[in-house]
Amino acid sequence: MRRLKLFSFILMAGCLTVCNTFSWSQDISVPLRFDRYYNYDELVQAMKVLNKAFPDLTSLDLVGHSEEDREIWAMTINNPKTGDPLTKPGVYVDGNIHGNEIQAGEVALYFMNEMLTKYGKNEKITRLLDKNAYYIIPSVNVDGRYHFFEDPNTPSTNRGLRRPKDDDRDGLFDEDYPDDLDGDGNICQMRIRDPFGTQKTDPEDPRLMIPVKPGETGEWTILGSEGIDNDGDGRINEDSEGYVDGNRNWGFNWAPPYVQSGSGYYPFSGDGIRAIRDYIMERPNIIMVFAFHNTGGMYLRGPSVKSQGEFQRGDIAVYDYLGENAEKIVPGYRYLIGWKDLYATYGDFGDFMDHIVGAYTFVGELFMSSQETYREEDAGAGDPDGGGFFGESNTRSRERLKFNDHVAMGELYVPWKPYKHPVYGDIEIGGWVKMSSRLPHPFMLQDLVHRNAAVVMFSAEQTPEVKMEVFEKTRIGKDLFRVRVRLSNDKAMPTITYHSVREKVYPMDMLTVSGSSATVVSGGKITNRYTDQVSYKEDKPEVQFCQVPGFGMIEYQFLVSGKGQIKIHFESRKAGKVEQTIDL
Amino acid sequence: MKRFFPKCALIAMTFGIMWGLAWSQDQAMTLTYDAYMTPDGLNQALKSLNSRFSNTTKLHRLAVTPGKRELVLLEIGPEVGRQDKSLPAILVVGNMDGDVPLSSMATLYLADFLLQTEGQATDKTWYILPCGNPDALQRYFSRPLYRDTRNGKPRNDDMDDRVDEDGYNDLDGNGMITQMRVKDPEGTMIAHGGDPRIMRKADPLKDEKGIYKIYSEGLDDDGDGKYNEDGPGGISAGINFPHLFEPFKPSTGLWPGCTDESFQLMKFAFEHPEIAMTVSFGATNFCMVPPKGGRRSGVDMDKIKVPENMATMINADPEQTYSMKEIMDMVQPMLPPGMEVTESMIASFLGLGAVVNPLQEDLEIYNDLAEKYKEYLKDKGMKDDRLDPSSARDGSFELWSYYQLGVHTFSMDFWTLPEIKDEKKEKSGITIEKLETMTSDEFVALGEEKISAFLKEVGAPDQYKAASVIQMVQSGTVAPKQMAQMMKQMPKPKDDSGGDPKTKALLAFNDQILDGKGFIDWTPFHHPTLGDVEIGGEVAYANNTPPAEVMDSLFSIQVPWGTEISKKLPKITILKTNATSQGAGIYEVEVWIENPSYLPFPTAMGKRNQQPAPAILTIDNDDITILSGKKRTPIQDLAGFETKKFTWMIQSDRNTTLEIQLTSVNAWGDQKQIKIGG
Repeated sequence: MRRLKLFSFILMAGCLTVCNTFSWSQDISVPLRFDRYYNYDELVQAMKVLNKAFPDLTSLDLVGHSEEDREIWAMTINNPKTGDPLTKPGVYVDGNIHGNEIQAGEVALYFMNEMLTKYGKNEKITRLLDKNAYYIIPSVNVDGRYHFFEDPNTPSTNRGLRRPKDDDRDGLFDEDYPDDLDGDGNICQMRIRDPFGTQKTDPEDPRLMIPVKPGETGEWTILGSEGIDNDGDGRINEDSEGYVDGNRNWGFNWAPPYVQSGSGYYPFSGDGIRAIRDYIMERPNIIMVFAFHNTGGMYLRGPSVKSQGEFQRGDIAVYDYLGENAEKIVPGYRYLIGWKDLYATYGDFGDFMDHIVGAYTFVGELFMSSQETYREEDAGAGDPDGGGFFGESNTRSRERLKFNDHVAMGELYVPWKPYKHPVYGDIEIGGWVKMSSRLPHPFMLQDLVHRNAAVVMFSAEQTPEVKMEVFEKTRIGKDLFRVRVRLSNDKAMPTITYHSVREKVYPMDMLTVSGSSATVVSGGKITNRYTDQVSYKEDKPEVQFCQVPGFGMIEYQFLVSGKGQIKIHFESRKAGKVEQTIDL
Repeated sequence: MKRFFPKCALIAMTFGIMWGLAWSQDQAMTLTYDAYMTPDGLNQALKSLNSRFSNTTKLHRLAVTPGKRELVLLEIGPEVGRQDKSLPAILVVGNMDGDVPLSSMATLYLADFLLQTEGQATDKTWYILPCGNPDALQRYFSRPLYRDTRNGKPRNDDMDDRVDEDGYNDLDGNGMITQMRVKDPEGTMIAHGGDPRIMRKADPLKDEKGIYKIYSEGLDDDGDGKYNEDGPGGISAGINFPHLFEPFKPSTGLWPGCTDESFQLMKFAFEHPEIAMTVSFGATNFCMVPPKGGRRSGVDMDKIKVPENMATMINADPEQTYSMKEIMDMVQPMLPPGMEVTESMIASFLGLGAVVNPLQEDLEIYNDLAEKYKEYLKDKGMKDDRLDPSSARDGSFELWSYYQLGVHTFSMDFWTLPEIKDEKKEKSGITIEKLETMTSDEFVALGEEKISAFLKEVGAPDQYKAASVIQMVQSGTVAPKQMAQMMKQMPKPKDDSGGDPKTKALLAFNDQILDGKGFIDWTPFHHPTLGDVEIGGEVAYANNTPPAEVMDSLFSIQVPWGTEISKKLPKITILKTNATSQGAGIYEVEVWIENPSYLPFPTAMGKRNQQPAPAILTIDNDDITILSGKKRTPIQDLAGFETKKFTWMIQSDRNTTLEIQLTSVNAWGDQKQIKIGG
């Protein structure tokens, strides 16, 4: 009897601790649930479960291994009946390049779950799946994801890659991590009673502190994050993992660590990052990219540094169209420019994808803590600050604490509790738990994942679709014909980005005319159809290099001599191919 | 004797060495330096050094190129058996650009020299890579001969529908690729007056009209109207490093380290923090000419402007400028407790960017060493009369080493063309018009020197020496006015101004030493699409690769300077220790650390980029309590010949010995014991 009681107690205790982290290991099956978070192993399991349930539409690709030898998985979603992946525009979604920014994984899973479970049932989703090739890597920083769930953390720790670096320049590497002194699975704050302290208890909510006014007696000094001085250098928690930021380690406009913290010793020093790069470079059809992060509620585009200069106008038009719609699909999220509205970044993933792969990249900063409100409807915006770069105001903190108390049942915040610290003596530990502040409580997760997946779908709809029309064929001489071709595209994205054309990143799309008994005498782009203005290509007129614009068209004229059949063929790295055969 | 003499004359003429001095060799080398080696040959030579000196050498296979060639690095030193080194190291990279065969041989010579010379590699490790770009080096040994720094990776250079489809063609079958000149109405080039072999741009200000278009030798293989625009390869591995890397240029590659020659080298460098210095052998020479500054950079660290959108965040005035320290002081109180503000954090937050010009303290050392080097060369009888070495290119290894690896960075080139001495021509001050009005006496009074200069200026034929002309005028054979009229009829002298001085130097070298092998005279050829052309021009490598016979003397003088510099590496040592009893078991412990070497630890750039590992001073004993001071004290920097003192207060109940450890991965380190009590 006692043994049974003990056993049930252990079981329950186990459940409770696990429950506290909002991810309990129930069966993972299709359709996936989104009232919970998926740790690393569960995420991989979820992908495998989706792949098993939809074997014809998906394939699981092992991209590579992380620093701690964990597997990085990608899923390709493609309908083979509408063609091989490389013959279609590629839509790429990833997330969680920062280990603590976990809900990106759930967004990616949700997107896959929606596309696959509704295929064949929902007309729009069916068309979307048939149209593009999708490559999804829900978790880029798999070591980070694993350790964020497994180890005690703040909402912001465990961001970097597991690459040793001597951050505090003391000859030791990664020797002073935060420590979970009270064993509650969270790294919170430490404070100590101090009449000379700069903080005093907030009269409105004793869990908060406010700055002391000059002349007032203090009450508290904030000691920092929970921890001890592991390396005896007088500082606490100053050298944890890395610091190498996966999103500063990419090879476009990379800058060394003294210019920008976290870039790694040289571009692509990260093992997992390198593997993902190689995976992407083998898929040059990728034209639309989403990289999900937290937090703040934004859809960011480049440029990443001011000195790069603004993007090409034609490309900005695409971003504006997609961004402005994103703001409506996820109300409250803002469409912004990286360097201007946030801060300069060197060597980031988005810049690499835009400049080297020739894609359109959005960084989605998921979740706004300003949605954790405690007020009536129509009570006004209150304090708009939802967690800026340097923290939130006390007004907002008080409100969020009420949200925590009455809406989240106290699950987001640990009240101050006494603790005996080996160095400081009697202190108190308390604060926001790791599963708070930068990500939604699970009851709000469903809304977040759906809306952001919808942004991906909206953009996926706008990948280029080229139609070819041979709108004129006239005999103008003995065995000499004038053939006019129109290539039109009623989607927002051009078949090759304006940046790629300007910098000659890769060969432009090609329009070719060939025939076994025919020769192309001259050819060129029609600049004015009505007055017969054609800008002729001097050499090899049978191969024309072109770009079909978004929401637009281009027209070409060929003078062909000969007889029989000619094949007019358009081929694009990102927009597949289309061809027609006509008789002369 | 007859065979012997021309060889010495060649050496002597090439760079004015007293040939007796050059000919005396101090030691016999393991290998011979009488021919240039292929990449394969270099690797074989390394293998033979390794098997001959198996106790003190080790081979590392660093990378494989797209052309399937191996980059092999030879480690020389007393710690070849261990992975974690305790002694500092020097990384020597040869021929990273691949088009300087001489530098690969010099690197091999250095390895050989170190192994042959006593005491050169006993207190440090040398990592020696003779060729960083073997695919490119192989071209020196291929025919047709052309010079190209790109490796063997196929690349669609002209962004058309095919890859590597239009390379050079050896139309005249002479085994080398030179140039074609074609008369073309849109041509902009003309033959240079002073030497019509030289082609230069026509100068409309001198009433010149262009005549020729210049192409590289070949056909339009793909019929797209362009010639040789998409040859085999590739990426220029030598400019594929991250500092000032430029994507979207013809052969830089898409990102730094996108090719293994550079990626594996960077990886190796960071996996070996014991590397305290790099030396690259190639076309630049930091030992003689310090790295160049003058680049437009981001920022003056004392006058930083905070952008408006950030100024409000940190309570700064966007109209004012602040020093870095001021900004750090403003930001610190705003950070969560426990988080320390660093210069790097501010620099990245404000987007300040990278350092792009050499720092002042480092330049002082470069300049001082350059003076010392010039003295050294003079002592060895080597005159400084050759063309300047090249400047380091953006994306190069040596710039990356200085700015990002942050270690002492040196480079050497070994040979350039002899400079052409331009005899200072004093202007005579006489013109034909003036001459017309002169009397015979006035003319004679000008003097022989001025008249001689004048005769040259008007292009008088050589046989008219000043002396004889003066005699003719004095004797009344000819009057100045008559002379002036005759001179007006003469053809104008060839204008030697303009034209590339490097080409002129090559032609002089070609004519005097190479016996015509350095330049192919323009020869008519009928081209299938361009019609009548002339093929000719500089022979590849003639301007940077001397005949093999001079290698030995070039190296025996210049290569050892590398070892001279290596002796100046910073050392971190314990100069003195002291323990003073304060009573009651309390002691004041003092330790003086010094750097007894010329070079600072680290460079000013290393201090700025915080890359080189600090030295750690530890005070160790289980029985004592440290009252003031830390158990581990990092030492971030120590200038040349600088001493720093560190103090602790400790408490010890009994007589004991303190272990003072000074560990350094890149500056030797030291240890001492201090007796306490007794």
